[in-house]
Amino acid sequence: MQVSLRLNGADRTFRCAVHDTLLTLLRREGMASVRFGSTSGETGAAAVLIDGALASADIVLAAQADGHEVTTLESLNTERGLHPLQEAFTATGAMQSGYSVGAMILGTIALLEHDPDPSEADIRDMLSGILDRETAYVKPVAAIRRAAALMRGDDVAVFEPLVLEPMTDGVNAVEVAPDDPAPVAPPAVPRLVPSPDVPEMAVVGKPEVKVDAVRLVKGNPAFTADYEMRDLLHAKVLRSPHAHARITSIDDSDARSLPGVHAVIHHGNTARVKYASGGQSYPNPKPHDQVSFDDVVRHVGDRVAAVAADTPEIAAEACRLIQVSYDVLPAVFDELETRLDGAPVIHAEEDTTDIADREHNIVHRLHAHRGDVEAALAAADHVYEQTFRVHQVQPCPIEPHISVAWLDSDERMVVRTATQVPFHTRRMLAPLIGMEIKDIRVIKPRIGGGFGAKQEMLIEDIAAHLAIATHRPVQLELTRAEEFFASRTRHPQTITYRTGVASDGTLVAQDMTLVGNTGPYGAHGFTVQIVSGLRGLTSYNCDNKAFNCDVVYTNIPVPGAYRGYGAPQALFALESHMEDIADDLGLDPIGFRRQNWVKVGDEMNIAPHLGEGGTSDEEFDEYPTVESSGIEECVAQGMRAISWHRRNDPDWRAPADRPHIRRGLGFAFCMHGTAIPFLDMGGASIKLNDDGSFNLLVGATDLGTGADTVLAQIAAEVLGVRLNDIIIYSSDTDMTPFDTGAYASSTTYISGTAVKKAAEVVAVRLRERAAMLLEVDTPGSIELRDRRAWTPDGRSVTLEEVALDSLHLNEQEQIMGTASHVSPDCPPPFAAQFVEAEVDIQTGQVTVVSMVMAVDCGVTINPITASGQVEGGMLQALGYAHCEEIVLDDEGTMVNPSFGPYRIYTADEMPHTEVFLVQTMEETGPFGAKAVAEIPKDGVAPALRNAIANATGARMHDLPFTPERVHRALNDA
Amino acid sequence: MSRATSYHRPDTVEQALALLTAEGNVALAGGTLLNADDDPTPVGMVDLQGLGLTSISVTGDQIELGAMVTLHDLRYNGSIPPVVGDAARAELPSTLRTLATVGGTVAAGDPDSVLLAALLTHNAEVHVAGPDGTGGAPLSNVLAADGPCQGRLITAVSLAVGGTTAHEATGRTPSDTPIVSATARRTDGLTTVALTGVAATPVLVDPADPTSGLEPAADFRGSTDYRLHLASVLTDRVLASLDGGS
Repeated sequence: MQVSLRLNGADRTFRCAVHDTLLTLLRREGMASVRFGSTSGETGAAAVLIDGALASADIVLAAQADGHEVTTLESLNTERGLHPLQEAFTATGAMQSGYSVGAMILGTIALLEHDPDPSEADIRDMLSGILDRETAYVKPVAAIRRAAALMRGDDVAVFEPLVLEPMTDGVNAVEVAPDDPAPVAPPAVPRLVPSPDVPEMAVVGKPEVKVDAVRLVKGNPAFTADYEMRDLLHAKVLRSPHAHARITSIDDSDARSLPGVHAVIHHGNTARVKYASGGQSYPNPKPHDQVSFDDVVRHVGDRVAAVAADTPEIAAEACRLIQVSYDVLPAVFDELETRLDGAPVIHAEEDTTDIADREHNIVHRLHAHRGDVEAALAAADHVYEQTFRVHQVQPCPIEPHISVAWLDSDERMVVRTATQVPFHTRRMLAPLIGMEIKDIRVIKPRIGGGFGAKQEMLIEDIAAHLAIATHRPVQLELTRAEEFFASRTRHPQTITYRTGVASDGTLVAQDMTLVGNTGPYGAHGFTVQIVSGLRGLTSYNCDNKAFNCDVVYTNIPVPGAYRGYGAPQALFALESHMEDIADDLGLDPIGFRRQNWVKVGDEMNIAPHLGEGGTSDEEFDEYPTVESSGIEECVAQGMRAISWHRRNDPDWRAPADRPHIRRGLGFAFCMHGTAIPFLDMGGASIKLNDDGSFNLLVGATDLGTGADTVLAQIAAEVLGVRLNDIIIYSSDTDMTPFDTGAYASSTTYISGTAVKKAAEVVAVRLRERAAMLLEVDTPGSIELRDRRAWTPDGRSVTLEEVALDSLHLNEQEQIMGTASHVSPDCPPPFAAQFVEAEVDIQTGQVTVVSMVMAVDCGVTINPITASGQVEGGMLQALGYAHCEEIVLDDEGTMVNPSFGPYRIYTADEMPHTEVFLVQTMEETGPFGAKAVAEIPKDGVAPALRNAIANATGARMHDLPFTPERVHRALNDA
Repeated sequence: MSRATSYHRPDTVEQALALLTAEGNVALAGGTLLNADDDPTPVGMVDLQGLGLTSISVTGDQIELGAMVTLHDLRYNGSIPPVVGDAARAELPSTLRTLATVGGTVAAGDPDSVLLAALLTHNAEVHVAGPDGTGGAPLSNVLAADGPCQGRLITAVSLAVGGTTAHEATGRTPSDTPIVSATARRTDGLTTVALTGVAATPVLVDPADPTSGLEPAADFRGSTDYRLHLASVLTDRVLASLDGGS
């Protein structure tokens, strides 16, 4: 049929199928800014203006749009520069991955058309249909306010941090007076507390605009789906309707004979090669319990077959035509029941080895200890024991998993894919498709969010198998429902703490017993639970500690990596447990923690026993110590910002005018890690160009975090140039140096140090060449700044002159440097998380009013991107605590695989948030940096739980705090 | 993934009714439900946008909403009663509100629809056209009958204005679709209360005994008993609010 639109101001007529959506039509016509997030309009990533109104194009038939005016972000791209609306989004750091920024800007146009000076409520309402897992909507709101001002012709201020005076000496606690006013600034403005140990720098520490801002804010092709391929085929996966079954037969003849189908693959025609999808470095943790297609399915949504066809619709129809017979087997979902005698054995096949106790579905049995916990507990003045259960959630990147695979002119396999781990993916893929690593190239373009879900080789093998089978490019893009039940999730756990406390409040023993549910495949099962133990037993000093853990198989959708990686589970349990101990002992909750938390110089006494390579009970000669901590400043800033004194005010806690409301404040002490010592490795390469600019190649993967910007800032600082003199490229296994990938809060610290080292190599040579030009015989005295090389007596040459001399004129050479970095250290960032909440004591409904996080992440390389990380992390953590949950029915089928039933926070309901960046100097980090990416995930759940307890006395032991759950706890309290 | 196999855009109600007599044809309003349905059964789409049912007209103490009036229109039209406008905003997020229509909302009869609850309290009447002519019925009857009869079209919804209103809801988060909500309206001493989340569609209940006869289906957001508890608590609150209390 024909569809006529006025598209971005031009009358156009298109041929399309009846079932085509407006999203399909627009993307086919090259409107890359209109992005796929769902097929039901639920994400808003595909929102466009239809006759000036914001509407999700994935829920509109192209035919419905016939005769209407359709506007996309591309309509603003009439010049090389930015439209003022785009300028506002870049200046405020409102984009992380930028996947949905087109929809946000179009919504702003519609909003400002209605009201040139919209209220914050109206801004948030406009954003309510555009889901964002990254910014917590904080900076987009600031961007829209700024855009409105720009469009009105008002003056706007530079968007920069609010610099605060320290409240402490950096070491000792202070009393925070109730009448001490908190600093006032819009929520999007990071509150920056500088340290006298940190020198002023030219680029590092500055609120630089993201290096990929233009590409993102204009909606230019950037993501995997944005690059067009001739003869592209589309793949769909037939998934198991059963939680556990043996496939007794597959008949694919009807599917193969469907016109437009080019290949059907399943266990009957695909090599059986064992692998483990998780892990990130060689060798992959065992067991290798997966194959591309198995004759046993182990969760609802497990792979059965895959089809490549001319269109997604034909591929889906072909999947429906595949006849599969199943012998349905008993299934088990609970991590405690799966260990019992008689539970179904989930991996009975002989070719999966290295399972600790196959008959009881125990994959790994882990133990580590220091001292003698039992003896210390027996001697302790007080002993507390509590059990907590944490649930399964999904990372929910708005860009689902997507891969495109093809054989290039040399018949090498090329995979363009949304991955956090391109080099891991290349290594995992090779044996599965029967090719050598050298014959595979993995390209990572921009990624629309990952949060750990893309930290595996998850779908690339299917696309590659089908590309080999068809000799055509094949794209596989997961649906939103598949993203929920067939990608990766957070591990459910059952955690029991036992803690012994001396009469003076000192911890004398603490042990953690954990049963971690890794679903049907090990994936990240081993390492996530190790991190739970590490994080759950490191925050507090105590001579006697133990970790006992079973990692177990069940038939739930597969858990894997999710930002926080075991720490959010552990710290929910730990910080709830510590709160209750303080309450029972009548101690101040922060004071009790302060008495015991690790401080500068303290040993992290169980950390080396809980390593990526396994657990160890043998004593080490040396234990890592805390070298930097800004926790006291974090606590002081946070207490003042949240008005902590109110928690003991009965009039505030029980407002007289709202008899069914109780208010509370909660706190959590957060301590995370920075990368995996002796394992995470990053490489960087830098070369000088004719004009004094530099190409920086890294294997590190920016998921939207701003890593590319931060890495370029580090290079610019060393080389004495502006940020826009660094052209960064990341990542491509053929082109860029190796990097283990983006995870474990490692990129700034590990890859950043590699960049710094590579830049220093280049800087040495720049000085030498500049010294030749300036006729100085002490190159070490040359200073690089302002794009020039300076002698101590004030003479200089430009770096362009150095470049032209070295590339074209004298003793020609390409000035370049390569370096890599692996760290023996894992310096912990610290944070104080505060939450204010209201509880409806009649219904159990919890309303979060405010979240304040004060973070010591060392020196922040970029305060805008760093605060964005904290804002977005708190949003995800709030969802984990409050409303998100994967719910399975009795047969193991997820009952809520869409947004709405699976509730994530929207812009119109986000609580007030504030972020404080407390600087400390971490000597092992690049320019003093530690990590910031994951620690925001750690404290919200326990702080909210403790706020509920402060408000009502109810102690929650399981997540999330949905109304009926809280109502039950109130009745039990 | 849309399952449309044919698309029609009739210009008149009569043409639409004729098309809807064909096997497999369905009425397409905004499309927020129909186009999201992943049931692979093929359907023919009869798009109602050409029928011109988009007016909002005020006559005395009655407002008539064309069936194709969007929730976005409801939210921004100054003549719409506040509790209805607020419900239109709460019903769906911004990117769907511009598509979803009054008629489609009535036809879907979602048990969690706060907009339907608000319309119920405003004595909404549903106007339909069919092969045998036009007619009207109270919204409560239409919902109880699971939508208008096959082969008929909703053309408009009229509602009474005036009175005092109140709304209370319990959800997982502030903008979540409520697990249970209560909407109340009092006019000329007569109080009506509509609940969501307690029956197969939003229902009018006896303000003095709101849970009478209700057996809400349980789901992961709320058990039967919890939903009944909320029904009582939230009804008490909206009544207290109408009385001038908290």
